[in-house]
Amino acid sequence: MLLYIITYDIPCNKRRKKVSDLLEGYGTRVQYSVFECILNHTKYCELKKRLLKRVNMNEDHLRFYPLSKHTRQTIEVWGDVPVTSQTHSTII
Amino acid sequence: MKSLYVSQQGCYLSLSQEQVLIKKGQTTLNQAQLPLIEQILIFGKSQVTTQLIHTCLKKEIPILYLSRMGYCYGRVLPIQRGYRYLSRYQQVLTPLDRLLVAQAIVTAKLKNSRVFLMRHHRSHPSTNLEMAIQQLDYLITKVSCTESTEQLLGTEGAGAAIYFSAFGDCIQNPDFIFIARSRRPPGNPINAMLSFGYQVLWNHLLSLIELNELDPYQACLHQGHERHAALTSDLLEEFRAAIVDSLVIYMINRKMIDSDQDFEFIEGGCYLNEVGRRKYLQAFLIRMEEIIGVDKQPRWDSLMRQVKKFREFVYSPSRKYQPYLIR
Repeated sequence: MLLYIITYDIPCNKRRKKVSDLLEGYGTRVQYSVFECILNHTKYCELKKRLLKRVNMNEDHLRFYPLSKHTRQTIEVWGDVPVTSQTHSTII
Repeated sequence: MKSLYVSQQGCYLSLSQEQVLIKKGQTTLNQAQLPLIEQILIFGKSQVTTQLIHTCLKKEIPILYLSRMGYCYGRVLPIQRGYRYLSRYQQVLTPLDRLLVAQAIVTAKLKNSRVFLMRHHRSHPSTNLEMAIQQLDYLITKVSCTESTEQLLGTEGAGAAIYFSAFGDCIQNPDFIFIARSRRPPGNPINAMLSFGYQVLWNHLLSLIELNELDPYQACLHQGHERHAALTSDLLEEFRAAIVDSLVIYMINRKMIDSDQDFEFIEGGCYLNEVGRRKYLQAFLIRMEEIIGVDKQPRWDSLMRQVKKFREFVYSPSRKYQPYLIR
């Protein structure tokens, strides 16, 4: 399990919406176009594969930064949203 | 294993992009990220939209429909999950292979029950416990002499009777009393908690068995038939004392559950009510997500490991099956 910072810059409204919808399923939006996702290798590959279908490489720009456990502990947050923690099962 | 448990009644689950929205009336109670969920358990009367069912089928996320006390009515699974490719190997297992595995499972169950009682005997000694521990010791030596599954089931039944006769001595909360195990229906709060716990764990195990492409209807100890996923019951035996019984005792002794407020009586049986169910599931999850062992894995992982071990055994029966032991 690694924490991935995923950022995007997408000029087309339609594609941007699709990408952000997909990322909502895998992580938390921490800024308008910055997501934090805690994923294992399989889920990370799955996410990238699905993203690939929704972006246009000529116009869009995405970045994936994996953070190691050590680095994760030294993250500083100034302002609102706390650092994403691992999701657990949900009980309603 | 990330699961979505819906234990409240009258919820409405729908899909919004990659998220599951859980609504009750107009208010959204919660949302869950669908790609990260491994299964959905619905206790009682909550609705799931067809769109969500379709997506779950596509993503191979099983949806389990259970009664409020945990009995499983059925599951929604994609068709391809039904093709169990290891089934052929399971069918050619010889009766001797099966008996040896069944013996190993019963031994593990008795040993785990014994360890459980011994732990309580250490903190709260009683002659009743001491006797049960000795009797279990004796039965453990008997298991390897059994020659048929019927005989083995007899030994197992005797073990369970001894174990449950001493089980009440582990309770340190005067609000609860336990005399004997009763089920269908469970007669008192402790039996209600045990039954519910076994059912929940049973269903989790069944999902893992399916996930590993094993045929849950082909078993070693229990008699499988078209309606009883006997392999699940087989693998459950090793975990009863280790997971469910210890959790029940823990919750009672720590006064995490209330004998008046958290139960309801319906038609002569005692069941957890909505609040009780929630408390129980919460405690269950905390326990299953606890990191244990030398390899620092959540307790969930020990279930998965056993299913994988059984799978290895099916591939090469000579390698034997190693059941789960508390220590």
